[in-house]
Amino acid sequence: MKMTFNFGSFLSARSVVGETLHELGQKHNNVWALTADTGGALASFKKDFPDRYIDVGVAEQNCAGIAAGLALEGNIPFIAGMIPFMTMRACEQNRTAICYQDLPVRFIGTGGGLTSGGGSTHNAMEDIGIMKTLVNMTVLSIGDPNMVGDIMIESMDYPHPLYIRLAQGKKDRMLYEPGTRTYKIGEGITARDGSDATIIAHGEMVYVALEAADTLAAEGINARVIDMYSIKPLDKDLLLKAVKETDNIVVLEDHLMAGGLASTIADVFADDGIHPKNFKRLGIPQVYAGFGSGEEQRTKYGYDQTATVAAVRQMLK
Amino acid sequence: MADPKEVKRLQELAFEMRKKLINLCGNYDGIVHIGGDLSMTDLLVGLYHHGMKVDPTDIHAPTRDRFLLSKGHGAVCMYIAMSLRGYFNYDEILNTYGQLDSAYGMHPCKIQLPGVECSTGSLGQGLAIAVGLAFSARQRKESHRVFCMMGDGETCEGEVWEAANTAGSYKLGNLIGIVDRNKQMMTSLDGDYMHLEPYADKWRAFNWDVVELEGHDMGQIVEALDNLPPITNEKPTVLVASTIKGKGVSFMERNVGWHAGALSHEDMEKAIADIEADFAKVRSAA
Repeated sequence: MKMTFNFGSFLSARSVVGETLHELGQKHNNVWALTADTGGALASFKKDFPDRYIDVGVAEQNCAGIAAGLALEGNIPFIAGMIPFMTMRACEQNRTAICYQDLPVRFIGTGGGLTSGGGSTHNAMEDIGIMKTLVNMTVLSIGDPNMVGDIMIESMDYPHPLYIRLAQGKKDRMLYEPGTRTYKIGEGITARDGSDATIIAHGEMVYVALEAADTLAAEGINARVIDMYSIKPLDKDLLLKAVKETDNIVVLEDHLMAGGLASTIADVFADDGIHPKNFKRLGIPQVYAGFGSGEEQRTKYGYDQTATVAAVRQMLK
Repeated sequence: MADPKEVKRLQELAFEMRKKLINLCGNYDGIVHIGGDLSMTDLLVGLYHHGMKVDPTDIHAPTRDRFLLSKGHGAVCMYIAMSLRGYFNYDEILNTYGQLDSAYGMHPCKIQLPGVECSTGSLGQGLAIAVGLAFSARQRKESHRVFCMMGDGETCEGEVWEAANTAGSYKLGNLIGIVDRNKQMMTSLDGDYMHLEPYADKWRAFNWDVVELEGHDMGQIVEALDNLPPITNEKPTVLVASTIKGKGVSFMERNVGWHAGALSHEDMEKAIADIEADFAKVRSAA
């Protein structure tokens, strides 16, 4: 059934970010919220801390610069925005105004991969590649809403720039029971154990990987799923353990296959002389994708659940 | 009216600074952005030695005025202005400038050189950062000002106007922009390709108060700084200072080639003679 909804309610679905920021704003008077006209989820922060809320209009470079200035004075600015503009339009400001000075600015970006529905102008398929090359930047891609909140809280003590990539937000599914885990930047999560192969994913694709593992289990294939949400720094120990114990590695990500998590992992393999029996990347090929939902495009470009299952099966033949 | 004795003291400092700049340019084995250094020398003297509340013995004092050099390629001019104020040692700047592991590089780095408020050098980025500093000061009810020195050429960057728009919209009266309006870019004159006029009106259109002044007239600089509005002003303020790129050196003034360069010993002597002759005119006018 077709329902009425407007842009306001659509944006407010990113409520975990908004609620957590509000909580942080209450506890810490040096927390600021900044946005380039995408602050729908920040309504409660804006209402209660108007003197620490800045909407600069559609001006991402300026937003990054102002955040740098706030951080120079000992504040913790959170920038909420759409990934392509936050990471590409303001790329140089992120690098030079923020990372060069190693300032604790937090970037919370929505619309990871092809989930935006806006077409190639609004897709975010290069962001991890761009952000991970910035010295001092930490890059996380999170697929569980409660985990986003927990990491935001943990980030209060983190003295460096930090980028958190989210999917569209409104479709974020819970992967982990709230309160059952503690998260530490730099440590990946074994979301499901297994010994035949390992699917390594981040963000929304962790859910797809878990579904693929369920399908494989029905065929007697025991696939491990790693939520490698901390892309930089990477949990090398967890990665090497998976190679040692399963020897078959599939990397599944809603990002260009070149430049994202798969490339980060391939770097480790090349540098350390690691040769898993099988290594396969699933993600976005060298295309500017068109319109349609994230799910539809994953199928079109060959990195959905079916493709993941097929890749694992192929390795174990 | 600006105090004539104070103006004279600052003029002497500016003369000293120009000679030190030329000396460094003649001794350093590489290029120095001497054109834009000489155009903002008087302004930096006015700021560091008169207008700004700063204390070189307490560089982290929360009450200090903040200074950002958005035209980061003028770093050496700032280093020398600060050294004359007691922050740094000029001989150390002269002897290590641009060398491996020196704190004194072509563009200022706050990590390598404490006392510098912000690392800059990528043009057009300073004002937005200054806006962030101004927001923070206002929210904490601090009474200092934030000064941001820009080159007019870098105000071709869009980010400058994004930041100007924000500062005007949020009424950041504690923010003072200074534009070194030397009417030259790196490789052309204002008007050759890009036309920046009506320049002051552009700032007014973004809800800034504008003070137009002669950037080599120390009396006007002092007067502008003495008469800045209170930080509660409803608008940020920009000082648009008309200057001459290469000011004081006959073969550099208004010469597009002298955005940056190196000086032979002979030309260094000639440049210093020019600076002295130029200053003699200032002295006799006083």
